[in-house]
Amino acid sequence: MSKLGAVVEAVEKHGRFVLEQVKRARSDERFAHAVIERWNKIKAETPIAKAPTGLPLPRLALPEIDEPGEIARYLFSEGLPGEFPYLNGAYREMYLEPLREIETGSYGNKKSSNGDSNGAIAARVSRAKIPEPPTRPFLQEEPTRLFSGLMLAEDTNKRFHFLSAHQRSKRLSTAFDGPTLYGIDSDADGVFGKIGEGGVAVDTVEDMVRLYDGFELGASNFSASMTISGPAPIIMAMYIAAAKRRFGPKVVPNLRGTIQADIFKEVQAQNETIFPTEASLRFLCDMIEWTTANMPRWYPVSISGYHIGEAGATPVQQAAYTLSNGFAYAEMLTARGVPVDQFAPRLSFFLDCGLDVEYIALARVSRKIWAIGMRDVFGANARGQMFKLHTQTSGRSLIAAEFKNNLTRTAAELMLAYMNGTNSCHSNSADEPFTTPSEEWIRLAAHGQAILLEESGIFKHTMNMLSGSPGMKAVERAVEKAILDEFREIESLGGVLAAVENRYQRSQIQNAAHRYEQQIYDGTRPIVGLNRYRNGADEMPEMELARTPRAKQKLQVERLKKFKKKNAEKSKSALDKLATVVERGENCFPALLEAVEVCSLGQITGRLQEIVGRFRPMV
Amino acid sequence: MASPIRILTAVPICDGHDSAINTINLEFIRYGIEVVYLGFHRYVSDIVRAAIQEDVAAIGISSYNGGHIEFFADVVRQLKKKQADDIAVFGGGGGTITHDDAREMKRKGVDQIFFAGTSLTDMADYVRRQYAKTRRSRANSKPDLALARKLSEIEDAFANNSRKRSTSSSRARTAQRSTPNKKSCKVIGFTGPGGAGKTTLIDELVLRFLQHQPKTRVAILSHDPSVIGAGALLGDRATMINSQDDRVFMRSMATRGQAGGLSPATESCLALLARSGFDYVIIETVGTGQEALPFRNKLVDQTVLVMNPDYGARLQLQKIVMLDVADIVVVNKTDLERAKAALSEIEQRLTQNKRKQQIVATVAKRHRDPGVDELFELITR
Repeated sequence: MSKLGAVVEAVEKHGRFVLEQVKRARSDERFAHAVIERWNKIKAETPIAKAPTGLPLPRLALPEIDEPGEIARYLFSEGLPGEFPYLNGAYREMYLEPLREIETGSYGNKKSSNGDSNGAIAARVSRAKIPEPPTRPFLQEEPTRLFSGLMLAEDTNKRFHFLSAHQRSKRLSTAFDGPTLYGIDSDADGVFGKIGEGGVAVDTVEDMVRLYDGFELGASNFSASMTISGPAPIIMAMYIAAAKRRFGPKVVPNLRGTIQADIFKEVQAQNETIFPTEASLRFLCDMIEWTTANMPRWYPVSISGYHIGEAGATPVQQAAYTLSNGFAYAEMLTARGVPVDQFAPRLSFFLDCGLDVEYIALARVSRKIWAIGMRDVFGANARGQMFKLHTQTSGRSLIAAEFKNNLTRTAAELMLAYMNGTNSCHSNSADEPFTTPSEEWIRLAAHGQAILLEESGIFKHTMNMLSGSPGMKAVERAVEKAILDEFREIESLGGVLAAVENRYQRSQIQNAAHRYEQQIYDGTRPIVGLNRYRNGADEMPEMELARTPRAKQKLQVERLKKFKKKNAEKSKSALDKLATVVERGENCFPALLEAVEVCSLGQITGRLQEIVGRFRPMV
Repeated sequence: MASPIRILTAVPICDGHDSAINTINLEFIRYGIEVVYLGFHRYVSDIVRAAIQEDVAAIGISSYNGGHIEFFADVVRQLKKKQADDIAVFGGGGGTITHDDAREMKRKGVDQIFFAGTSLTDMADYVRRQYAKTRRSRANSKPDLALARKLSEIEDAFANNSRKRSTSSSRARTAQRSTPNKKSCKVIGFTGPGGAGKTTLIDELVLRFLQHQPKTRVAILSHDPSVIGAGALLGDRATMINSQDDRVFMRSMATRGQAGGLSPATESCLALLARSGFDYVIIETVGTGQEALPFRNKLVDQTVLVMNPDYGARLQLQKIVMLDVADIVVVNKTDLERAKAALSEIEQRLTQNKRKQQIVATVAKRHRDPGVDELFELITR
């Protein structure tokens, strides 16, 4: 039995534990007293701040309950924001605006620890010493992180500067072009027309240096996300090499950001695996092992459900496969001997957000299941229990017909994402069905986030603004049950890896996609402008399409050829060294770091494929 | 009954968006079309080669990652270069292909582009309307083209009932297994239950042919089941990444209603391939049941039964008839827990048979698997 079965048991056990605490609060007077005391303390310490119109509101909204059993139920089954099991949020304050006026409370700038504060109740009852909450600097980062990439490195660099111009924190997210995603060089046969399309062309470390020019890679207010999975270890090595070229080796432990790297979702949905599954997983774990030891501020994998959802999975399938993939990684890394407290805090997650009703609670429930699983099955500490989430509004939900409606769709999806406490967010542009976004539409997409978070009063005054509604709780219960059912199914197939080999996730996703199309066709799924309220015109709008000019594509090929020529001698020995390490079964990441100094992406993937083979697609 | 329309579908190089094409394939099949699906991330050369060998009426390309004007034009150009421009090209890309793009692509020889919002029914209707016509003879064409067209003619003849399924084994036996210049051809038949790994295994053997025998030419006849009353999804090419090579002639065949693992036209097609200058012809049946004996009457020179270690209890082995007949029994997926027990049970059975049968343990999905090396040695001996 894989650990997934144990996770299901742990979640069920937690449910029983909650009921026990409720009972206890209703029968044990001292416990009830401690519970009520804590509740009152929280309320007393919650500042009241004023909205711009003068309306006073607490910074944290809590249910209006005073009965110890119900209080216990709330504290233990949901937790306050920033408290196990993190249903209401990974952190205490999330999107709250900085405090200007404090009317009551002693909150100040102190953040409580994310440890089990309910354990503090028990501690008090037994007269044990309650640990002091450690202070942490008050860092408020905007969640906005817009995904972009186009043409050549210098063009994307320009777009990066445009997007981050007025942001306090520079949060970049990089899209790569087709050849780069598949580990192929721009000068390979038959890919010329694809250079710079859909993302930036990166062939060498020199491209990487150009890509992030003008940004302080080691600064605490800079982070870079790179959306690439098949060749992720190689691209990661290139990023590190580029950073070292500009800032010296001391910058490496300060590098902040994430690389997607998640192989399971590639095999299940996105289809960008380039080595056989086992070899791909091995290279990924090599990279995670190295980076978690050497780059404490980097997230070496973004365990993703976005692509699973976009390929057609239902929201429950998306969450279930993402979480189970995550637990599978935890199992693999543990089997390798990597301590859970080394890797768990550095795992991050990525989900999409569409318009289906499940999205009201999908991420919240995922956070809870992850926390319980990591704590009770893998023994992770608080930092390792935390499900850090990046959300992207759903691309699939956006359609070409009357595309300006996509602005509304994305706005609704942003609402849902924030209701679920996402730590980081990309909003799609309305022109998504046609092209990599133009400046006009990406600006609107960025503004959408700012309008909801900064302009509107929905999220900036009060935590828990929308959680706890009966409807939300109903969705939470239904979604949690459905996810656990999926876990049982995967477990019965022998676990995640066995299920993958049997095409289980893949075929489920394809079936769901087919059903989705059927529902659009027969009208069960209304889509405004497509199968309802059509205006009859099938005209495509006049719009500015971001296409890479041939001259630029040629330039990329020339640069690459120059690089290869310059490094012809050294690249041979670097590749040989890499090959030896791989054949011997050692961690290949250090050798990759050396290889990227003198080899192109394609040269490295080509050599690796000779040794481990190519990915064999499952239809 | 007329022969079903055959088309090839694929997703271009550096593009993994297969959600649309998977749904479209299924729809086409429901309308009686046979779809040879090449999969995603496919080079122009692979698409063109496959289209020619499979002798499809048209190629449908689904492209969501840009660069489509170039890519589609390249496909048209290469088809023309190979004298196969009687194969049409159509496709779509949701909203990523604009009307202007489509106009330019049509100027460059693409038949039709479907835009975002086109219904599946409309696409299927289009294919049935446009690509049902009979095609001209290719008697004077280059070898692969002529061969591909002849195979189609054989299939068409069986479909039109102008030829009955040949019960005469004499046809198979007397058919010369040699070309006019006396080059002998070995025919190997692979069968076994669905999911045992036949397709992967064959592709791994092909890799070894390509790596170790530079002059050898291989033909593959791969079967997939037809859906009742409708078309078929011929998806083996998508998995057989090594077989997409100029030295390999591969043809996918739908069973077209015949039980037993092969198509009515298989024998005749095989006879044609056997005298077309190949050193090896490999036949793969569909996933077969326990009672299947697909290779009757010396249809092939050597039979290989590929098995999964998860066949159930030892008693189940009694029911697998092929175990008494196969020249080589391959137990694949021997990395599974059950493998050790399975190997010993099957070995016992073969010993009881007292025929000259070989058993090989493989992990076909593994790169450079020694078991596959052993199998390769056995079949090329």
